[in-house]
Amino acid sequence: MKKPTSLKISISGVRGIIGDSLTPQLAGSLAQAFGTYAGPGPVIVGKDARTSGAMIKDAVLAGLLAAGCQPIEVGICPIPSFLILTKEMRASGGIAVTASHNPKEWNGLKFISRDGLYLTPHQTEEFLDLYDQGEYAFVGPERIRPVRTEDRPVEPHLKKILAHFDAGLIRRRKFKVALDCGNGAGAILAPRLLQSFGCETVLINAVPDGSFAHQSEPTPENIREICRAVVKAGADVGFVQDADADRLAIVDEKGRPLGEEMTLALAVQYILARNPGPVVCNLSTTRAIDDIAAKKGVEVVRTKIGEINVVERTLALEPKAVIAGEGNGGVILPEIHPCRDSFTAMALILEYLASSRKTVSALRGRVPLYVMLKDRIEGSAEQGFRLISKLKKKYEGEGTTNLLDGLKVDFPDHWIHVRPSNTEPIIRIIAEARTAVRARAALRRLKGEIAALKGEL
Amino acid sequence: MKLLKIGISGVRGIVGDSMTPKLAMDFASAFGTFAHGGTVLLGRDTRVSGPMLEAACRAALTASGCNVRAMGVCPTPILQWAVKSGRARGGISITAGHNDIQWNALTFINREGTYLNPFQGAEVLDLFHLGKFRKASVDDLGTVSDGSAAVEEYFKALGRFLDVRAIAAAKLKVVIDACNGAGAPVLGRLASTLGFELVPVNDRPNGFFPHDPEPRPRNAQQVVSVLKVVGADVGFLLNSDASRVSLVSETGESLSEEFTFPLVADAWLERHCGPVVTNLATSRMIEDVARSRNCPIVRTKVGQSYAIHTAFQEDAVLAGEGSGGVAVPAFHQAFDSLLTVGLVLETIARREKSLSALVAALPRYHNVKEKLYCPPAKVHSVVSEVKKFFHHHRDIDTSDGVRVDDENGWVQVRTSTTEPMIRIVAEDRSPERARRRADEIIDFINGLIQ
Repeated sequence: MKKPTSLKISISGVRGIIGDSLTPQLAGSLAQAFGTYAGPGPVIVGKDARTSGAMIKDAVLAGLLAAGCQPIEVGICPIPSFLILTKEMRASGGIAVTASHNPKEWNGLKFISRDGLYLTPHQTEEFLDLYDQGEYAFVGPERIRPVRTEDRPVEPHLKKILAHFDAGLIRRRKFKVALDCGNGAGAILAPRLLQSFGCETVLINAVPDGSFAHQSEPTPENIREICRAVVKAGADVGFVQDADADRLAIVDEKGRPLGEEMTLALAVQYILARNPGPVVCNLSTTRAIDDIAAKKGVEVVRTKIGEINVVERTLALEPKAVIAGEGNGGVILPEIHPCRDSFTAMALILEYLASSRKTVSALRGRVPLYVMLKDRIEGSAEQGFRLISKLKKKYEGEGTTNLLDGLKVDFPDHWIHVRPSNTEPIIRIIAEARTAVRARAALRRLKGEIAALKGEL
Repeated sequence: MKLLKIGISGVRGIVGDSMTPKLAMDFASAFGTFAHGGTVLLGRDTRVSGPMLEAACRAALTASGCNVRAMGVCPTPILQWAVKSGRARGGISITAGHNDIQWNALTFINREGTYLNPFQGAEVLDLFHLGKFRKASVDDLGTVSDGSAAVEEYFKALGRFLDVRAIAAAKLKVVIDACNGAGAPVLGRLASTLGFELVPVNDRPNGFFPHDPEPRPRNAQQVVSVLKVVGADVGFLLNSDASRVSLVSETGESLSEEFTFPLVADAWLERHCGPVVTNLATSRMIEDVARSRNCPIVRTKVGQSYAIHTAFQEDAVLAGEGSGGVAVPAFHQAFDSLLTVGLVLETIARREKSLSALVAALPRYHNVKEKLYCPPAKVHSVVSEVKKFFHHHRDIDTSDGVRVDDENGWVQVRTSTTEPMIRIVAEDRSPERARRRADEIIDFINGLIQ
């Protein structure tokens, strides 16, 4: 196979490798193009805790200042707080320096519109056209503004959450919560939020220094430390945030990780019980969502992968979606803000525990059990594309095929999904079934089919 | 047409036009590559475009693996001194010196604390054009630390270098106009080091220049009027990065910037005889002063880098330019207005004479400086036409443009090193003849351009 490139410019923003593809020149020019696109107003600039964040942020500031924007620096800030701040401050837009869950040599830029949402695919196209044309706004010194700093970037977010949930109900339960912020941006707000809910907290990796205690993806393998902490402290629940605090994984009161698919499933189960309505999630999210929604007789709308695709459908849907998200632990509660938000997810789970008076494991027991297996193979988007058209022929007639994003094949008792990543030069493969045996068999067959096709790619 | 000047000592352009953040990053990346990921000092004058270029340089330098010591708003001479004393690998000063507010520039400083020599400058330029920059991996990215403690070290060294006891004993009242530039934040420290009473003018480092940041008489009105009101002994005008200075006497006479160098030289050469370096556009006063002290004079092309590096090669005791820049290699190889202020005050104090008396002792010439905007593609052909115009002349020097001398004066025509312009300097004992020398050339050039 051809060596995949380390630079990804996609609807999810820009990602690249420090010391290789993601140069300050690239970041500065992108920021200047974004400043041209957003116009000369305030632009919020934040970063996650990665060590390369300061360098990329400086490049972004230079580009924005040159374009005549008023940069407002927020330092290390959780992504959902950042999005909400952009909207609440009536900024022209925002740039977040982050590579989410990618390994530490990666970094990237996410571009945010004045609504506090990631740029939609259409907006991204307009913005990238500007970037590619290379004609950026460049103001004279009389219109260059000094960089400002916002010291309390999480306040609007915290206020919204506290206003939305029944804090009194949660406080009365005096929960004990173990929290692992992965030394990411979540540490800025999560301990405060839990204290506001009257929780006793056991904090792990709560220094936002970018050291990435775990590989920053909150999968079961990465969260052993918190599982032990839950048991040792006798906590009611354990929470694990990813580096930019948009996703959440949950550990039950017995110290067992639920698996990241379960975060959205529990959230959907709770919200639909109180307020039945449409649910939006992406193609790769567990089928448990469909089962829960079917019981309530509400619709599940499936979208392409990528947070903005889920958000766009959520905003466009009529009647309005009551909850949305992704199986990777990304919960979107449109009433708070249409973005993945680990803090809202925590509040939602705590309120669920408080109002149901059940344990996490008991609530989890109500969700239909599925086993999801994920794997990846190296390959560029183009190789993935060719693979998918060949695979489709192999599976046609056996199940329902869907080409909305890669190839998804639904069978009565399981499904598979193959798709090139938006953010890394890899092809993701997923299988889910009611049993591990069935899921393994489905994945084994899928990998066998891919191996057989590899020579033709 | 975009205004951009790339030279050996740095790159200069207009913000909002040619001086883009990308260009600044490419040059800073080239310099970071040149510096092999060592420590680099980063400072700027007060221009409002400074923070934009500073952020661009910080990003590019750390990306190339260089640790940045941030000096913030800092006179270029202090940054130069700190590079050498702090054993850094180099420095970048973000300043356009005397140019007006729309300009800005990156000036590169080598590990000796002086401007890049032609070979180093060529290396950085080659790296820039090649575009293959050093890229540190995520674990080797440079860090940013505060380097401003070096400012205090500089003033301690300055206090040891000058006769501060004599200066303090003279109880001088001094007006200094920092033009709201990089000199503004350190005026108080300069006064406490040297022991004079400071009357500051335009000492808010906000980047809004109340007049052109060029030290010369037409910008001196504020200093003159303040000086008269407070009855000060001397007045000074600094440029935006405090590298150059012009003087105002106690009578309120604003002196041509040409006087700064010969005045300092006369006192310095009295105690330290040796070669003196100046450029081909500088007044003959310095030649007369050097001759009277039996010191040889060496003339170079115009440009601070040429003067400083020639001074190094010639083991000179002084280097200076008619633009108000003076360097004393015994202190450091930099044009330094703060040191120059100290030397002028030391001379007043030691000789117990007023500035006007010291100036009266200097030979008097009349100087005419003009500049003509000229399309960049034409500047060199214009200068070579001027050479032909003077081909019959006996005393002609073509090492930088054209200079022709006779017993009463001289005229020089050259291309600007910083802007797409042709500069004309004429000097004569009689003001009318100086004017005539310049006008003759201007008419000739205007005929060529039109």
